[in-house]
Amino acid sequence: MSSTEGSNTPTKRETEGWQNDLQRVGLVRRLLMARKWYGVDWWFVAISAVMVLAFIFIAFFPGLLAPYEPDQIVGTSFLHPGKYPDVPVLVVRTESTVETLLDLATPEGEDRPSVGVVQGGTEATAVREHSQELDDQLIQDGNGLRLRPRIERYDDVQELLNAVNDGTILAAVVNSNEFNQVKSDYPDLRSGDSILGETASAGGFIMGTNEIGQDVFSRLLWGTRIALIVGFSSSIISLLLGLPLGLLAGYFGGAFDRLLSLVMDSLYAFPGLILAIAITSVLGPSIYNVIVAIAVLYIPTYYRIVRGQTLTVKEEVYIEAAKSIGARRWEILWRYIYPNVIPSVAIIFSVNVADAILTSAGLSFLGLGLPPTMADWGIDLARGQRFIQTAWWLITYPGIAIMLIVLAFTMMGEGLMEIYNPKLRER
Amino acid sequence: MTPIAFILLIIGVPLVLMLLYVFIRGSMGLRRYILTRIGLTLPMIFILASLVFFIMRILPGDPVRSALGPRGTAEQAENMRRTLGLDQPLIVQYGNFLIDIITLDFGTSMVGGHRPIIDEMSERFPATLELIIPSSILALAIGIIGGSLAASKRRKFPDYSLRVYSVIIYSLPIFWFGLMLQLLFGIQWKLLPVAGRIDPVIRTSLQPVTNLYLIDSLISGNWPAFWSGVQHLILPTITLGLVLSGVFVRMTRINVIETLQADYIAAARARGIRERVVVYGHALKNAMIPVITLIGLQVAILLAGAVLTETIFNWPGMGGYLVQRISSRDYTAVQSVIAMFALLVALISLAVDLVYSLLDPRVRY
Repeated sequence: MSSTEGSNTPTKRETEGWQNDLQRVGLVRRLLMARKWYGVDWWFVAISAVMVLAFIFIAFFPGLLAPYEPDQIVGTSFLHPGKYPDVPVLVVRTESTVETLLDLATPEGEDRPSVGVVQGGTEATAVREHSQELDDQLIQDGNGLRLRPRIERYDDVQELLNAVNDGTILAAVVNSNEFNQVKSDYPDLRSGDSILGETASAGGFIMGTNEIGQDVFSRLLWGTRIALIVGFSSSIISLLLGLPLGLLAGYFGGAFDRLLSLVMDSLYAFPGLILAIAITSVLGPSIYNVIVAIAVLYIPTYYRIVRGQTLTVKEEVYIEAAKSIGARRWEILWRYIYPNVIPSVAIIFSVNVADAILTSAGLSFLGLGLPPTMADWGIDLARGQRFIQTAWWLITYPGIAIMLIVLAFTMMGEGLMEIYNPKLRER
Repeated sequence: MTPIAFILLIIGVPLVLMLLYVFIRGSMGLRRYILTRIGLTLPMIFILASLVFFIMRILPGDPVRSALGPRGTAEQAENMRRTLGLDQPLIVQYGNFLIDIITLDFGTSMVGGHRPIIDEMSERFPATLELIIPSSILALAIGIIGGSLAASKRRKFPDYSLRVYSVIIYSLPIFWFGLMLQLLFGIQWKLLPVAGRIDPVIRTSLQPVTNLYLIDSLISGNWPAFWSGVQHLILPTITLGLVLSGVFVRMTRINVIETLQADYIAAARARGIRERVVVYGHALKNAMIPVITLIGLQVAILLAGAVLTETIFNWPGMGGYLVQRISSRDYTAVQSVIAMFALLVALISLAVDLVYSLLDPRVRY
C-alpha cells in the first residue's frame, strides 16, 4: 500500500517493509493479506473459522440435522453405534404405497390382506395385537374400513422375502436387524416404519443409544446449543465487566488500580474450576448459575490484558498529541485507547469461549453445573461413565464433541494471536 | 505424628528453610524482594479467603437446610446453626473463619462421623501430593524436550507438529482423556487398574508412615505394595501430566526461541559450536528460568486438573474429598477444602517466586 502511494517520495515506512503495511489496515484485511506470510497460522484461522461457523449453525438449527429430539426415547437402551433397533418393521415392494400397517386396511367384506411373518418369531404376536388395536380404532371411526390381516407363516426370512418380492403376499413383518442383514439381496424391497408406531425404525443410530434409549447423536447435536450458550454468554459477561475495569485501572492508575489488580491477580491465580465449584455448589444447578460462575472466573483474564494494553497505549505519542489539543480524559479513553485495545480483546474472547466451554463441561461432569436431564456433553459423559464397562460409545462421542468445539475456538485464538499481535502470546 | 504436623512439615519446613537461607546469604536487594513478595502473599491469602467466605455465605441457598434434607425439623436446624456458629452476625462469622485458616482448625464436618475436617484433609493430602508430583515431572519432561526441539527446528515439521500437539492437548477435556485411558488400558486391554491408589488387599500389609504409599513401601521394603502403587499411579499420572504438558511445550518453545536470538548465542555459533550444543547446552539453561515461574502459574491448572483426575480414578485425595463433600452437602468441609486450596496456591507461588529470584539475579527490587 504505502509502497505504491509513496513511489515518488520514499518514506521511512517503505523501508520497514510489509510489517508496517499490516499495521495500517483493519483486522479483516490484515487477515487476508497475512496469508502470504503466515502460512500455517493462516490456515489455523481459516480451518477453525469454518469449524466455529459449523458449530454455530448446528447450535441454531440442531433440529435440521438431528433425527430425534434430545430427550425423546427412541429405541432400546445400549444399542451399538450403527445398529438398527430391534423392532418389527413392515417390508414391502419399493413401488408399493403401503407405509404403515393402517394402509393395509380394506373395506368391510373385501378380501383380507395377507401379511407374512417368520415362523417362531415374536412378529406374529406384534402384528396381531397391533392390528387389533388399529381395528378397534377403525370401528370407532366407522367409515367401513377394517384391518384384519391374515397372518401367513414362513420357515425363514429368505422364503418370506422371496414371497413379498414376487408379489405372493402384499407385505411382510420382519425384525429390522434381520432385514438389514439381507437387505442388499433384495433391491426391490424396502422397509417401512415400525409397526409399533415408533419413529426409530427406519434409520439406525449412528452413535448408538444411551442407557434409557435416547439417540446419542441427537443429544450430541442439541448439546452444541448448550455449550455455545454457556460459552458465549459467560464470556460476554466477563468481557463487559473486565474491559471497563481494565481500561479505568490502566488509565487512571493510583490506589484504585493497585487494589483492583491485587484482587484480580489473586482471582487469576486461583484454580478456576474450584472457584466455579464453590459458586455452583451454593447456587444449585441451573444454566444461569453456571453462566454466572464461569463469568466471574474470567473477569481477571480481560482485566489483565486490557490493563496491560492500556498502559502501553497510554504512552504513545498520539495520546500526547490528543492531550495537547485539549482532549478531555474520557475522550482520550474512548476515542484513542479503547479502539486500540479491542483487537486483543477479540482474540482473548475466542480463547475464552473455549475455556468457558471446557469449564462448564467439567462442572457438569462433576454433577454441579446443569440440571442432570439436560442434553449437555458434560452430563452425557458423567452419565456414560457408569457404563464404561459395557458401552464405550456413551463416553467417546461427547468427549470428541467437546474437544472439537474447544479446539476450534482455541485454534482461532492462537492463529489470530500469531497473526495480529505476536507479543500477546504469553497469555 | 499427627496428620496436621505432617502437612506443615511437607509444605512449611522446606519453605522456611529456603527463606532463611536466601535471607541470610542474599544481598540487600534480594532481601527487600523477599520481604515484598511475602508482603504480597498475605493479602492474596486474605483476599482469596474472603472471596471463598462471601461466596459461600452471601449467595442464596441455606447450607443447614440442604444438609439436613427434607426430613430435618426446625429444631434440628436451629441446633446445627448454633453448633456451626451460623446464628452469629456475619462479621463475627467472618472473623472466626479467618482465625480458622490461620490456626488451620476448620471445625468438624457436618455429616458422617463428625470428625475434625483438618484430620480428614490431612489423610487425603498425601494422596494428592503423590498424584501431582509425578504428573508435574512428566509434564515438565515433555515440555522441556518438546519445547526446545520445536524451537530449534522453528518453522519446520517438528515445530508445527508440536504446536498442533499443544493446541490439541489444551483442548482436551481432562476427564474425558482419563476415561479414554481407562477404556483402553483398563477395560479393553486389561493392563492397568483404573481406580484407587493401591490394591486393597496389599494395602493391609503396608505400615502407614508418611501416607505416601510409594515412599512407605520403599521404606519398609514392601515390593508388592510398591509395584501395586506404581501400577495404580500410571494412568492418573499420564492423564494429568499430558494435559499439563501442552502449556509447558508452548512456554519452553517461546522462551528458547527468544533466547536463541540473544547475542551470546550468535557468539557461540560464530565460534563454531555445534547447533545441538548451542540449543541444549547454552540456550536451554537460560530459557528454563521463565519456565519455572510458569510452574507457579500452572499450580491453578494442576489443582483443578487434580480434582477431575481424582474423581475419574476414584483417587482418595483432596479433590475427590471436595467432590464427595459437595454431594453430601457438607458445606463446612467444602468451604475448608477450598480455603485450603487457596492457601496452597498462595504458598506454592511464593515458593516458586523465591526459587526464581535465586536463579535469576536480575529479579530484585
